[in-house]
Amino acid sequence: MADVKRTWIKDAFWETPTKELLNCISEHKEGFKDVRQVHKLKRGDPLFDECVEALTEKHINVNTDRRVDKKFKEQEQKRQLELNRRKAQKLEQLFNYKLETFEVEDIKESRNRILKSKLRRSKSIPEVNLYAMMILQDKLENETE
Amino acid sequence: MKPSKGYLVVASKRPNFYSFAINCIESIKDYYPDAKCCLVTEERFLDGREDIADDLIFCDDHYRAKLWGMANSPYDITMYIDADAEIEHEDIAIVFDELNGNDLMFHKLDKKYKKVYATLDFTYENAKEYYTYCGGVCLYDMRNPLIKDFMNDWNDLFRKQYSKELILPMNPWQDLWNFDQTTLWYLLNKVDKYKDIKVDSFKDNLRWNYFPHYERFFNDFPKDPIVIRHYSSYAEKDKSYA
Repeated sequence: MADVKRTWIKDAFWETPTKELLNCISEHKEGFKDVRQVHKLKRGDPLFDECVEALTEKHINVNTDRRVDKKFKEQEQKRQLELNRRKAQKLEQLFNYKLETFEVEDIKESRNRILKSKLRRSKSIPEVNLYAMMILQDKLENETE
Repeated sequence: MKPSKGYLVVASKRPNFYSFAINCIESIKDYYPDAKCCLVTEERFLDGREDIADDLIFCDDHYRAKLWGMANSPYDITMYIDADAEIEHEDIAIVFDELNGNDLMFHKLDKKYKKVYATLDFTYENAKEYYTYCGGVCLYDMRNPLIKDFMNDWNDLFRKQYSKELILPMNPWQDLWNFDQTTLWYLLNKVDKYKDIKVDSFKDNLRWNYFPHYERFFNDFPKDPIVIRHYSSYAEKDKSYA
């Protein structure tokens, strides 16, 4: 193994902030075969030193920072999409709920455009309920008159 | 003489679309009380709420009676809006300015959003093609007689396509035959008579037909506030009104 000539792929990075564990990939030839190998090397391992010497510590530092930054952005984007998913789902549920409310006979028959408009613009189910009750009340009052 | 301008909403086939359409028209009037709105629907659905519409036209129970409705708009310049949409900004009043000398305006389908569209790409006579426009909203000027012909042809061709009388050399046909975009694409791209139609998409494209998917999967928003929000995913999934 000692005379194996490895090429170290440039995207090596530190697994830990203490730089004791190095994640890297090497390539070498075995006869006609190209062998690609993923390593997790501890400090003290001769391959650890070989890789750091080939790529330089500075390069691995820069690569690690870039990777952390990329992972952080990906997580942030994932979190944002999850928030959006929930928001969109809630909005669709609200739309559904509003339309069901508009199907209630007394609300359907109400001619109070202002309250119906407020119901439609409601941002939550409790708000929808509130305006639905106001529409019913308004209808009852009109009937009494 | 000033051209007449109005909004057109169509509800056919399923009674829930009548409820959607009423909600859509009421939402237009929430933000633009003087708007002229035309409801195209089936007589059997009427329950008194149709009074909100300034014009009422009866259609048949075809799955895409919207195309017939669009061809029979009582206005010179019409903003067609799918029934399962809701208006949420007062700029709905100035949507007609978006026409900007064109004959037809649509919401553009962007390749970026391919994964959320039912279908986008296909082959026509073995050449790769893409749908360009979504028929969910359409602003059009029927003072140009060619546009009236176009709307009538869109309706006629779609009915033939839907009844399997017309089979275009497009693949995969089993995914395309029930979309009005198919006939729209064909008329705009393959029919000589319509090659000079001035057709374009809305400048702030997402603003005028915002699908929840744009936020849900891409975190994308229009530059200015959303005017028309489309709830079609909900409408397709939820059959509780039917």
